[in-house]
Formats: sequence, structure tokens, C-alpha cells
Amino acid sequence: MTFEMTRKGFLKTVTGAAAGLAASAIVPTSLGAAAPGVSAGVAPAAKSKVKLGASVYSYNGDFLMGTMNLEDCIADIADMGSDGVEILGEAHVPNYPNPPDKWVEQWFGWMEKYHTKPTAYDLFLDARMYRGRVMTVQEAVDSLVRDFKLAHRLGFKVLRAQNSIALAFGAGTDAAALYGMAATAVPEGKQVVEKALPYAEQYDVKMAFELHSPALLRGGWVDPMLEFVNRTKTKYVGFCPDMSIFTMRPPESTVKGLIQQGARENIVNHIITAWQNDLGPDKTIAEVKKMGGNEVELRYASVAGIYHSSHNDPKDIVKLIPYMYHIHAKVHEMTEDLREPGINYQDVVPILARGGYDNYWSTEWEGNRDIFEASIGIRRQHLMIRKLWEAA
Amino acid sequence: MAADHHILERGFKNISENGKITGFQLLVKSGYYRGIWLCLVDDFVITIDAETFKREQIKFTTPDGAHTYSLDEMAKVTDVRWPWLEPAKLTVSKPGGLKPGVHDVQVVQKDIISYMPVIPSVRTYRKKMTMMA
Repeated sequence: MTFEMTRKGFLKTVTGAAAGLAASAIVPTSLGAAAPGVSAGVAPAAKSKVKLGASVYSYNGDFLMGTMNLEDCIADIADMGSDGVEILGEAHVPNYPNPPDKWVEQWFGWMEKYHTKPTAYDLFLDARMYRGRVMTVQEAVDSLVRDFKLAHRLGFKVLRAQNSIALAFGAGTDAAALYGMAATAVPEGKQVVEKALPYAEQYDVKMAFELHSPALLRGGWVDPMLEFVNRTKTKYVGFCPDMSIFTMRPPESTVKGLIQQGARENIVNHIITAWQNDLGPDKTIAEVKKMGGNEVELRYASVAGIYHSSHNDPKDIVKLIPYMYHIHAKVHEMTEDLREPGINYQDVVPILARGGYDNYWSTEWEGNRDIFEASIGIRRQHLMIRKLWEAA
Repeated sequence: MAADHHILERGFKNISENGKITGFQLLVKSGYYRGIWLCLVDDFVITIDAETFKREQIKFTTPDGAHTYSLDEMAKVTDVRWPWLEPAKLTVSKPGGLKPGVHDVQVVQKDIISYMPVIPSVRTYRKKMTMMA
């Protein structure tokens, strides 16, 4: 599960971590087959040094206001003692998908200057590009390959691939039906992944499917893909869990926003408690109606509201560790005493440290987007993760 | 109301053809964080003070100035992007244009984003802007 950079002319390996930590403490999954890159019966490896980085998406507020550009973001990540840089191809690369050679040279120059490395490249699939229909399998594959090529050109080995493709992969399961996302994703998710796989191998980019709210770490969200990976033994398909799947409660800013829109605090709290107790959207809506809920409150009680978040049991992530190529360290707020009050870092970080996770924690700051707030929030979060990891 | 800087102060002007003011223009940055293929921009609704302008009255020009489309034409454009943070120009038909002075400007943008549970995604930008002449 090591992460190596071997783009021509550009070699970066994390000192000491490169070779020795290939063995993971985690033994085969519940599906019985040995996970890729892991041999059964190997003694648990020493916990590796935590790998920290950020998606420059975190700095959107600064990009909009012109207070930071891409180089500034890379410099900021390095300044805080971290080294992982994640980008969105469509947002951060000029003249996407064909950046000029000079820009690509500059990109590698920044990596070298700031001692950072490209961690993950976020790609998207616009299944509804062609009005009135969903993309065909071939169109979807062509779209993915366009991004595979660019990611490879920029030295990325891991792709953040979309949640919706993974869900479409499990089309027909209860999860897909409940969230309706498979309807808007490419319906033939399995065929898309199978056809794209040889290209992922060719361009040496691993498709790490994001597990993002409202994903559940069991059932239709993960089992079909786990079965596929175990059957094919591919090293090019895996997962990128987003910490939003370990939501404990909504951010303060969300609650404030609802109240500004006319929701009442007692009803919002009732909805939060119902969600924490897995009452489900239908029953929660029914209860809110009985309480005389208004439009804002009813919406928050639905799949479009709080039920767009999930609160998984941290133990459920253990079986996925051998398949996890990246983590989106989602964060909405960081207190001065280094806590994220809404997301369960305190349980998940130690489990992954002890479980042999050896790839990046890459921040997605979705908190205050005022200028320089990302710089503040990411630092607190990285220190929090490092402390939790080292104490594990 | 905090100013929404997805709408720019510069470029907010009345426009003339053959010596007559036919409408006005404004520059808008997309609030969608990854840029967008033009075919996925479903609609704009622009409200200035109490007056609403709909799709038939609006034309879209790409940030590089190279292409101008009606919103219906844009639905078919699958190979041109509106890059994130680059201002596009919206040209709105209104004979006589807007009076000089401060106006309440609201732009609603609707995008077709495949992975969202609700389509289209709706974004609203609002700012008080000064028409100079």
C-alpha cells in the first residue's frame, strides 16, 4: 500500500516508508479472498508516519477573491509541514484538458521547489452531456480516458473517481434505489469500469471510487465493487472514503443557515436526533409534519437534507483498508482545541493508523470560505490528525 | 446584504447598436467549482430591481470572447468550456437599457450536474451594482 512517484525526471519517495511498509495488518475481507497487495499471515507492520495533504479545492474562497493562486496553495501545504497536493483537473489546469507544456513543466517545478507530491487527481463524469439522454458506455469511457491521460501527464497515480459510478456499479441494490443517484449516473456502471480498466493500467492511474455521504460502508455501496476487485485481483480499482460518511452531527453553519431560512431550533434538533437514531427520511418527515413543520424543516428532514449525510460505524472501514488508495479528509469547522465537532476523526484515525492505512489524508475544507480561513482550518486539522495518529 | 463577487463591477454597461441603447451586459463568474461544458448550463434568470429577464432575452459570450450563443444554442455545445473563475459576458435585451445609478442585480444560474440528487443545481448571485452611463 505504498505510494511512489516515478514520473520521468521527477522522483519523490517518502523517506523510509517506500519499501518497508508493504505488509498490512489487515487480513482478508469478509468476502474471503486475499486483498490486493496484502499477504495473509504477515505480522503487523509498524504504524507508518501519517501522510497529510490537501485538495486545493479547499482554497476556493481564496481563488475567488484572488488572494491565493495554485502555487500559493502548494506553498501553504508545504509550509504547514505536509506534502500531498490534490487537484481537480477541470478546475486547476489551464486550457483543460490540454495544458501547455510550459505549464506542465512549471507544475513539476513547484513539486520540486516545495517538496510536495501529486496525490490524487479528481475527475468527473458528466453523464448528461448530451441533452435528453444519458451517456453511452463508450462515451463515458472516452471521458474517463481523457482524464487518465492528463492525470498521468501530471504525475498522478491515484484518481478520485466518482461516488456515482461506484453506486451505478451496484445498480439494482437497495442503496441505489434509495438515493436515486444511479438514475443520473451512467446506468451501466459496471461496464464503464470494466472497459476503462485496461486504460487505467496503461496510464498507471488507480481509480479510487469516492465513498461520500450518504454512502454506507456495507451493502450495495461497496460489496459489488469489492467482489469485482477480489475476483479480478486488479490493483487499479479501489476506494477513496470521504470523512463525511462519519458525520456525527451537522456543522454549526448549517444549523444557523436553516434557522435564518425560517427553521425552528427545536424542530431542527428533533430532526438531528431522529437521523442519529436512523429513523429514516419517511418517518422523520412524518414526525415533523405532526409537529407542524414548515417547508424548510420538511426539506431538512428528507434525503435532500440531513439524510444526505451518513454516520457509519468506524469499525466498518477496517475491511476496506487494503482497497483504500486515498482519503478525503472532509472538514467543516476546527475548534481551537483541535476538534472537528461534527465528524468522527477521534475514532476513525486510530483505527486506520493501527490498521495499516498508508496513503494520504487529503483535506477537503468545506468550512468558512472567507480569505485565508482555509489556511487556518487546514493547519488545525492536520495537527489534529497527526496527534490522533501518533497516539494510536 | 453581502456583495456576491461572482458578479463583477467592471463590464456592467449599457450597450448600443446603431446609436440606440438595446440592452446591457454584465460579467459573471461561475460559482460551480470545476468549470462547466456549455451544454450543461441549463438556464439563466436575471432580475434587475423589479424586472425579470428570461432566457430568450439573454445571450452568453465565452470568457475569451470567441463565441456568443443564445441559451438554446448553448445546449448543443459539447466542446467548449466555461472555465472556473473566468468571467463570461451575459448580454440582456432591454430597449433603452438601465438608468445610471445603483441597481439590485440578481443572477440565477441553473446547471445540469449529473451526480447531484436534484437537477438542475441552482445558484444565485446578488449584488448592488452601479450603472455609470
